[in-house]
Amino acid sequence: MNPNADKNKEKLKKNEDNAASIIPQGSLKKLKVSQIKPSSNNPRLLFDPVPLSELKENICQNGVLVPITVYEVRGQNIYAILDGQRRYQCCVALEKEGKEISIPANIVDPPSKIAGLLFMFSIHNFREQWELMPTALSLKVVMEDLGEHDSEKLSKLTGLSLPQVERCKILLSFSEKYQELSLDPEPTTRIPSNFWIEANPILDLTEETIPTLAKKLGRDGITDKLVEKYRGKKIRSVIHFRRITEAYELSEDDKSQRSRVIERLENYITNPQLETRAAFDEFVVDSRRIQNVVSACEEFISQIRRAKVEHVLEREELTIALKDVKIYIEAILQKLEGSDEPSLQNTVEDK
Amino acid sequence: MREVTSLPFKILLKTNKLIMVSNLRHIWQTLKYWPFYLWAIYHFSGYKPQPLKMQIVNKWFRQFEEKDKFSILKLLWNIRYVTERETEDLILSRNSNLLERLSKSNITCKNIIYVQIHDPGSSSAVILNMLRDRGKLERKGCYFVDSKNILELNKLTSKLESGAIIYVDDFAGSGHQFCSVRDPFSEYIIGNFSEFFLLPCICEEALYELGHRGVEAVAGFVHEKAVRPLHPNSSIFGKATKERLVEICTKIDPKGALGYNKLAAMVVFYRNAPNAVPVILRGRVYQQEWIGILPRTTDLP
Repeated sequence: MNPNADKNKEKLKKNEDNAASIIPQGSLKKLKVSQIKPSSNNPRLLFDPVPLSELKENICQNGVLVPITVYEVRGQNIYAILDGQRRYQCCVALEKEGKEISIPANIVDPPSKIAGLLFMFSIHNFREQWELMPTALSLKVVMEDLGEHDSEKLSKLTGLSLPQVERCKILLSFSEKYQELSLDPEPTTRIPSNFWIEANPILDLTEETIPTLAKKLGRDGITDKLVEKYRGKKIRSVIHFRRITEAYELSEDDKSQRSRVIERLENYITNPQLETRAAFDEFVVDSRRIQNVVSACEEFISQIRRAKVEHVLEREELTIALKDVKIYIEAILQKLEGSDEPSLQNTVEDK
Repeated sequence: MREVTSLPFKILLKTNKLIMVSNLRHIWQTLKYWPFYLWAIYHFSGYKPQPLKMQIVNKWFRQFEEKDKFSILKLLWNIRYVTERETEDLILSRNSNLLERLSKSNITCKNIIYVQIHDPGSSSAVILNMLRDRGKLERKGCYFVDSKNILELNKLTSKLESGAIIYVDDFAGSGHQFCSVRDPFSEYIIGNFSEFFLLPCICEEALYELGHRGVEAVAGFVHEKAVRPLHPNSSIFGKATKERLVEICTKIDPKGALGYNKLAAMVVFYRNAPNAVPVILRGRVYQQEWIGILPRTTDLP
């Protein structure tokens, strides 16, 4: 734990009641657009274009009415934005159109590292799309500096949701060697952050169910195998990892099935060529399909009952339809029993 | 004697005369431009991708029609060639001024991170290595990070909490390449850091991109549109001459006629020519169909 953690915590306690108090009071000044540095944690994705154009129109007519909050960047004659990115962006757009606008700015002292981070978190909460890795690394700094590791408290402190904090913690549980793979600037070779989130339960499952393999390869060794498989395009989507846990859970009441799942998992990890769905679909997809068909049957019977067709007078069309159903169902039942009569297969499809 | 003046002899004599005349013309044409050839070889001496020799200059120049040659000479005259010595002087002096300025703002060398923005072996790495050695930056306590090592940057900025980040390269044309490296990188900066881009030369187009991000360019010189003869904003050539030269460029390579983003840059470094230099000077890729006088390393076969 960082020795300054207690001090930092105390400082923070004073501020944590409301986010606005992170931004101290300062002096007012009018700035040109060129004197302002936008926040690099505040991407363009953040803003809806329609409200932004309304704000731009308003600024064009009345100027910037509410001052933005900035701090002076040491060594540069510019000011970095803490609050007011939208107003700034509108002014940039207006300047491009040839209108010169001065922006009233409340100039404050630079925020401390922790205050800056908490402010960044509050921005990230509004981001439409954001990579989890920058947030996780920033959360790590907060955890280390404040010595706070409780997820609920971190959630309150940062404004991140509890699942977000948990996801960040999973990312941080992987060693730096793996974190770096998600920070690769080259998108084609980068491992997405979600890979680690989805792979984590598989690693846990392997350690729990195949201890010999876990001992032999180690957690990192198993992770390496999964990375190798991902790079070899044998994990087409990281979401497919869920099929493994699903297969394991579905085999709860069937011992032989469970041992088959575990055996397949071992084979899946050790064989880099075995694709996720090819390995586990047979355990998962069938049960899903069965469930779907059972529901469809129940729904079908219930609808027929509700229609009360037993007493209708025009029966010809109804009889043909029900007979088709009967033929189709009989064919399926025969198939399930192991016999197959191809002549029956096309009866309904041909109609 | 009568036999000597027979028809076959006459034909032979005429052909010989023709050959002599054409040879003389060729020799004269070469001799006429000799001073220019010598100037080019001297002026662009030390160009690493392809050292300039009489044969190369001659071969390049002979690709043009006689009517265009004066304009071509003028175009070549307008190239800003930056030698190894000048590159070092520009970088070292600008860096020293910057460090002094930062020191006045209470940012010491121990809070300064130099960032190499491309792979080892690239211009950025070469310039940064030179700067580190000649500027004794390591001894002063500065840090060095590769832009690909985001985790290292994250940890370092978290440890330092505030200071300055100085990106280093040799040239910025549109600024797009720099921004594509810097933007994702900057998301991982923790704390308050001023950002600078140190380089010998920057095109004025890149200044806007940098300014928009609050990154200050610390450049040896700004390469303005006005000093690039083939740029629409330049008046070095008259309209007709410019159009003719652009036409030649387009014939050579319709897509990359004036270089990347149509910058028509006229800066060439001893190590390489930027891809923003017009194709008329660089030649086509692998020097096929059109050879260049100052090809990029990637343009060579």
